[in-house]
Amino acid sequence: MAFAPLDPILHNQLRLAIMSLLVAVEEGDFTFLLEKTGATRGNLSVQITKLKEAGYIHVQKTFKENYPNTVCRISPKGLKAFETYVKAIKDYLKN
Amino acid sequence: MFIFASFNTIATMETNLTPEQSLRVIDDMIRQAKRSFHRISFYFLLWGVLLIAAMLAEYIMTRMGNPPHGASWGVAGIVGGVISSIHGAREGKREGASTAMDRVILWLWAAFVITMLITIVGYGVSGGGTPSGSIMVLTGLPTFVSGQLMRFKPLIVGGLLFWVLGAFSYFVDPGVITWLYIGAMLFGYVIPGYLLKRQEDGLRTA
Repeated sequence: MAFAPLDPILHNQLRLAIMSLLVAVEEGDFTFLLEKTGATRGNLSVQITKLKEAGYIHVQKTFKENYPNTVCRISPKGLKAFETYVKAIKDYLKN
Repeated sequence: MFIFASFNTIATMETNLTPEQSLRVIDDMIRQAKRSFHRISFYFLLWGVLLIAAMLAEYIMTRMGNPPHGASWGVAGIVGGVISSIHGAREGKREGASTAMDRVILWLWAAFVITMLITIVGYGVSGGGTPSGSIMVLTGLPTFVSGQLMRFKPLIVGGLLFWVLGAFSYFVDPGVITWLYIGAMLFGYVIPGYLLKRQEDGLRTA
């Protein structure tokens, strides 16, 4: 049986973790994602940029207590891709 | 073999995820996110205590021969408003994420405060007597809905209690309303607020 190919953007642990967190909350800032994933600042920043470039998340630069703050929010395209990815891995597991 | 021992693993590993590992990442992250809720028990405890104090002050002043003039409600409203605003601003700065439910609960209570103000001022202007019964009935709505949204039974029961005691208060002597009101605040706000605080503390440290 042929399986649907997995989305390479999401088939990465850190990017998948970021997307899972943003599916669960409406929006999350950089510190929140850092704390929950345990990633390094540099790696997290790189993966956020990749997700943003893919159009999966919206990134907004704001200020919080006079410090720059990056707020991420999942996009409709990202949500659709996430749902497709979850369905694909469930199909893998079923068969 | 992949061992999901630390989230640091996520940061370093690139691909080669098995479907099981993918599902585990998703499941773990959603569990983590569920701990990122805004704490609201503080408001139930604060307002419960303040409104009970206001009602008792009003009751004592009336017993001492002073006509009820609503000063204690005004003081409670101002004190509660200031403390709530400061606490809300601090919590907002600390929280790094917000959920759709946080937003629904925020606007539900904001709408409730506006409705309450209109009702209380309306009663005052029209000379419609004590608004305690209407306040209890109105308070039942956001308490009950918050409880349902959070799936927290003490708040659901608290909301129901506000409605029952509020409805009952239209048929009893004004002196009894004071105690109905205090009972509703105690069992609808203070006790659920305390239980909610315990649950929030437990989830944060889980």
